[in-house]
Amino acid sequence: MGNPMSEYDRAYHEDSMIVRRPPLIWPGGHRVAFSVVVCAEYYELQPPDGAFVPPNVPGGFGRAPYPDVRAFSQREYGNRVGIFRVMEALDKHQIRATAAVDAVIAARYPYLIAQFQKRDWEIAGHGYSLTRVISNRMSEEQERNYIRASLDAVETACGTKANGWHGPEYGESERTPAFLAELGVKYVLDWPNDEQPYLMNTPSGSIVSVPMALELDDVITHYHRRISLARWRQAVAEALDQLLADGDSGGRHLVLALHPWLIGHPHRIGYLEDVLGDARERRDLWITTTGEIADLYLRQLPSGA
Amino acid sequence: MLHESQAASGKFNAGIQMLQYSYRPQFPSTQRTRNDVDQSWIDYLPISERPPLVWPGNARLAVMVCPNVLYYELMPPPDPWINPWARMTPDVMMYGRQEFGSRVGFWRLLSILDKHNVPCTAVLNVAALAKFPEITAAIVERKWDLLGHGMYNTRFICGLGEEEERAYYLDMLRITRELTGIEMRGMGGPGPQAATENTPDLLAETGFLYYADFFHDDQPFPINVKSGRLISMPYSVEVNDVPIFSTAYEGDAFVEIVRRQFDRLYDEGGRVMCITVHPAVIGQAQRAKYIDLALQYVTSFPDVWFATGRQIAEHYMAHHYDIVVEKIRTWRWATR
Repeated sequence: MGNPMSEYDRAYHEDSMIVRRPPLIWPGGHRVAFSVVVCAEYYELQPPDGAFVPPNVPGGFGRAPYPDVRAFSQREYGNRVGIFRVMEALDKHQIRATAAVDAVIAARYPYLIAQFQKRDWEIAGHGYSLTRVISNRMSEEQERNYIRASLDAVETACGTKANGWHGPEYGESERTPAFLAELGVKYVLDWPNDEQPYLMNTPSGSIVSVPMALELDDVITHYHRRISLARWRQAVAEALDQLLADGDSGGRHLVLALHPWLIGHPHRIGYLEDVLGDARERRDLWITTTGEIADLYLRQLPSGA
Repeated sequence: MLHESQAASGKFNAGIQMLQYSYRPQFPSTQRTRNDVDQSWIDYLPISERPPLVWPGNARLAVMVCPNVLYYELMPPPDPWINPWARMTPDVMMYGRQEFGSRVGFWRLLSILDKHNVPCTAVLNVAALAKFPEITAAIVERKWDLLGHGMYNTRFICGLGEEEERAYYLDMLRITRELTGIEMRGMGGPGPQAATENTPDLLAETGFLYYADFFHDDQPFPINVKSGRLISMPYSVEVNDVPIFSTAYEGDAFVEIVRRQFDRLYDEGGRVMCITVHPAVIGQAQRAKYIDLALQYVTSFPDVWFATGRQIAEHYMAHHYDIVVEKIRTWRWATR
């Protein structure tokens, strides 16, 4: 056997052991940064032919023949009802979130954009729609156009460029970080592989990866795994305890992804209020946005990248 | 042309349900003739922007209790889209689990519903009326509302042409009228996949008032149709024993979900709370007491309107439909 290093691995980031890194310092001496990403996403009843949707995408009773009004409408609950409960819960605890906004929401629901802007939320791109997921099935040209169209829709609706990106269903091709960097995106939320930001270096420039806590993502816990909601609250608290303990050697972060079609239901929202209230009560937590986490990280790079 | 995702979705993943329905690995595409169907059916007017919904007697909340009355066939005709018994043919285990509902579960559930004296809206496979005359008599005696759920839970409506689908609804209405004297006003499609492009138009045309396959809201909402009027009714896939008991949850979790759902909606006011139960699931010996506890909780509050789907739909049509449509027309953020 020659060189065992695989050429089939991911291309843009280095292996980096968290115990070997220089300490990361958050503002105010906080040991852990906490932020919330709220996904505002549209499930098309009729995505174009060839659009890729993973078979286990939540909604309805599996991916059914067209027109699957149950899956469509179950997801649409988030935009019509659920998101208002989520915003109220975040408001109550004075938490500015990052809204991950897809192109359909940006174009069709200016009211929601205004709600985010009124709250001074950060805006991240979230692809075109939930029913058009990026993967290697897209050609380079298709993917570049897709990302550009998604970012343009957000910029048109918001009047500012999105600095962050979260692909629908965490979907990427092998090339996505390079296209994001090329199109001026500063950070990406799709790689749940760390508790600190890290740099991705692509041929088109660098981009910060801000990993989210996938295993606490409401869709994973409450849809795919169906753990009890009380247990979710406890799990978030336990995660923060551990991060605070580990934070002795440098700051870590927890980014919680929320989906209003799910967590915004009447019987679930109280648990979100509890989770956010718990976070508010902790003194060692820097409650911030994903963009600020990426910024703070960048400013501490030795190169000042 | 098939979506790649559709081609990939041989099975779907919903706990014990996975043992029952599955989609055919390469199901034929269904006809697409309309563009942008989703937006033309329901306009965007978020709940925060709607005029307050006022229930009769100024009740804070409308509660609709929906027991399913289903008819599963052991050896149904083959369907090109959906396999009703995914494990094997025949599947006496999964069939028997469902049949328990009509033989035992329904009667156990009925005694609890009677105890709390709540009006019910049966989610009904119409063929069950002929198959189970004792159940039919119990429904008629209690004056339940009927929310049609197709003819059988093992035959589906995807792929029906417009004429066939119209005839299907007219048959459902006629058979129901003949066997119960009840005019059915609500509909949701049978099995896991529920609609064609023509479904809302045909429901409005054939005399239905409400459609229960749109899960997008906590209130009824207008569905745009070619002629007549149709509204969505907030049927629940959340407060529903099937998804709940398809997981590691048991009865205590069911009660907790009901309690929290009720508390929040009661607090907000002007909403519909739908409690969906299946005799085969909640009617199990180890679970029945939990629907009892859940109903005990929701019936312990003042100012709750326990209503049928038809009562809610008629009230909405009479007092709110026009107001909401007008608001949609004039809302400054509207986009079509």
